[in-house]
Amino acid sequence: MITVSSLTKSRAHVRVLEDVSLAGAEGTVTALVGPSGSGKSTLLRCLNGLETFDSGGITVGGHRLTPGSHAPALLERLRCDVGMVFQQFNLFAHLSAVNNVALAPRVVLGLSSADARARGLDLLDRVGLRSFADARPATLSGGQQQRVAIARALAMRPRVMLFDEPTSALDPAMTAEVLEVIVELARDGQTMVVVTHDHAFAKRAASHVVELAAGRIARQGPPADVL
Amino acid sequence: MKCFLIAVLIVGGMAVATAAADLDEVVARGELVWAADQEGGGPHVFPDPANPRQLTGFEVDLAALLAEELGVKPRFQQGQWDRLPLLLGRTADCVINGIELTPERQRDNHCSRPYFAYSLQLIARRDGPIDALGKLAATGPKGRWRVGVLTGSAAESVMRSRTDLEVDVIGYDGTIDSLEQLSTGVLDAAVMDDCIFTFYADRFSRLRTVERPFAGGFYTILTARDTPRLSAAIDAALGRLIADGRLKALYDRWDLAGRQQMLLLRDAGEVPIARQKSLGELCRDTLPLLIRAAGMTVLLSCLSFPLAVGIGLAVAVGRMYGPPLLKPLLTGYVEVLRGTPLMLQLYAIFFLLPKIGLALPALVAAIVALALNYSAYESEIYRAGLKAVPPGQFEASLSLGLSKWQALRHVLVPQAVRIVMPPVTSDFIALFKDTSVCSAITVVELTKRYSVLALSTGRIVELAVVTALLYLCMSWPLAMLSRWFEQRLERPAAGHGLTEG
Ligand SMILES: Nc1ncnc2c1ncn2[C@@H]1O[C@H](COP(=O)(O)OP(=O)(O)OP(=O)(O)O)[C@@H](O)[C@H]1O
Ligand SMILES: [Mg+2]
Repeated sequence: MITVSSLTKSRAHVRVLEDVSLAGAEGTVTALVGPSGSGKSTLLRCLNGLETFDSGGITVGGHRLTPGSHAPALLERLRCDVGMVFQQFNLFAHLSAVNNVALAPRVVLGLSSADARARGLDLLDRVGLRSFADARPATLSGGQQQRVAIARALAMRPRVMLFDEPTSALDPAMTAEVLEVIVELARDGQTMVVVTHDHAFAKRAASHVVELAAGRIARQGPPADVL
Repeated sequence: MKCFLIAVLIVGGMAVATAAADLDEVVARGELVWAADQEGGGPHVFPDPANPRQLTGFEVDLAALLAEELGVKPRFQQGQWDRLPLLLGRTADCVINGIELTPERQRDNHCSRPYFAYSLQLIARRDGPIDALGKLAATGPKGRWRVGVLTGSAAESVMRSRTDLEVDVIGYDGTIDSLEQLSTGVLDAAVMDDCIFTFYADRFSRLRTVERPFAGGFYTILTARDTPRLSAAIDAALGRLIADGRLKALYDRWDLAGRQQMLLLRDAGEVPIARQKSLGELCRDTLPLLIRAAGMTVLLSCLSFPLAVGIGLAVAVGRMYGPPLLKPLLTGYVEVLRGTPLMLQLYAIFFLLPKIGLALPALVAAIVALALNYSAYESEIYRAGLKAVPPGQFEASLSLGLSKWQALRHVLVPQAVRIVMPPVTSDFIALFKDTSVCSAITVVELTKRYSVLALSTGRIVELAVVTALLYLCMSWPLAMLSRWFEQRLERPAAGHGLTEG
């Protein structure tokens, strides 16, 4: 489902990623750990084409990315199969919760407004926020916002979900409610890559752990071995 | 609503005027379109004080006689006095408005045989030091004498050429502006065509004629150089009117010479006091005209602003997300439109575009100019608005599979629109007031109508208050409307987002 081979990337003459190779099979959860600045976010963003890379290759959800800039049409197809959840949630501030979730199915997949809304309500139900369907993001707590963001990414029924430190902006109580949703997804067999500093969570949810240090893979293997 | 309809009718009338029509076309059309500036005032062309809806003046009568001679009906076209010749071949067949015969005018247009002999009169305050033209030859106690004239008039060129006089010549756009300024002591003297002062003398009881007129010349009718048959027909018609006494009968009716006699007598004795209309009478006579003009103001702003916003948004998006080649072009567009005066853009669109074969009716030209000018400002506002949307919003949209344009349409632009609502609102109100510059290209809106009426009635202050109230009556609801709109946008988009449906 995910293959990264010999990936390198420089930014302003600084090597950010160096010879990174990893693989994630269907239904597995890969945890990306490592110190700050080690390149975790950069690697994750390469996986859905938000960043380009210099050499090596990526295959994700059946789409192949090559070094250099990517064709917009390829990216749009790839991103339908690869969802992403950001540290800062990035909910669409002008839309209600359900419209945040329903936007992409309607605009990208061409669902009717009613079908898109139905899908949005289902997903909000799944993250336990159905009763907040018509609330604006600004009126929701951080944990609720992140759960809406997860529902939003799931709305495209992606084959792979990417999480970039989904809980680092949250307090412990809210962290727990978000992690609960992610663990639930893992149990349902969703293929995921999760950047996290939370080793307890990685042990609990991940099937594979990759540790980055200064842009290189320091160690990788089952959680019990690496952590 | 009624104002709107009336405004549309006025505009319709303007749009009908055809370009560079020679005699046969005038006859076929059945109308002789003659241009003048009613703000220029009496006794030439001015709103009838008894019924401001009606134009009167000896040139109104002359135009009627001439049209009759040509077998057609006269139709009046409003224009700004010093730019009336520019209307020839555009929206007018001829200009009849106290145009003095000069070599320059003979070079640029066809000038008819004279129809009126004017004289230049020096005017000063009764209690002032100027009691003879010769007084101006030596500097006064405060240095050079300040003398007011009408910009572009013969009085101006004569006074500027008199190097023997110690005078600073100051040009005004309105015929009697210099009289106002002279009354209040800003000027030491004024020079103008004798018939104008004769006409307004009652209103300026502190002013008097000084000596006999000291120079003079003739008024001529201007036609375009490329309408020789029309020019010849007007000359021939004038000849007949002069020969058979009809022109004399016209002037007898206006009795300009007799009035001047009476003025000289008045200056020698007591100052008469003219009865003023009551405020109620004034409002009854002028309010319908002002309201109609206000309709034009609303029409101009409500048609041009949505255009400005649309173009501005497109330009902003193009500059930020468009192809690299487009960006410098759009930047140039914005800088040129922001860096040049709106007035200049109006002239370019109304007077220069026809030279490359694109003649727009005045109202269309006004709307286009306002829309283009304001689009530059709106695009800068939208650019700031788009920049103010957090970058995470764009990345989140892309990560969901939206294309760049879908992200713009569904996520970035709707948020930017909300962010910039307050500055856009205040720009709307600014544009609303900027519509007054359109009078420069013959569109009569509220401010122009005010100055015409203020001049013809002399009730500058009262009418200013009425006009200001009318502006407020319009801008207040506009402000309320946009505030309501602002609040509506503040709420989450119901249903399926703002831009949908
Ligand atoms: N926009 C950018 N421009 C230049 N350098 C960047 C940029 N973003 C990240 N970097 C650099 O790239 C390297 C990797 O950054 P990255 O954000 O991938 O690290 P990270 O492992 O996600 O760190 P953190 O745990 O703090 O999120 C760092 O050295 C960082 O300074
Ligand atoms: Mg990071």
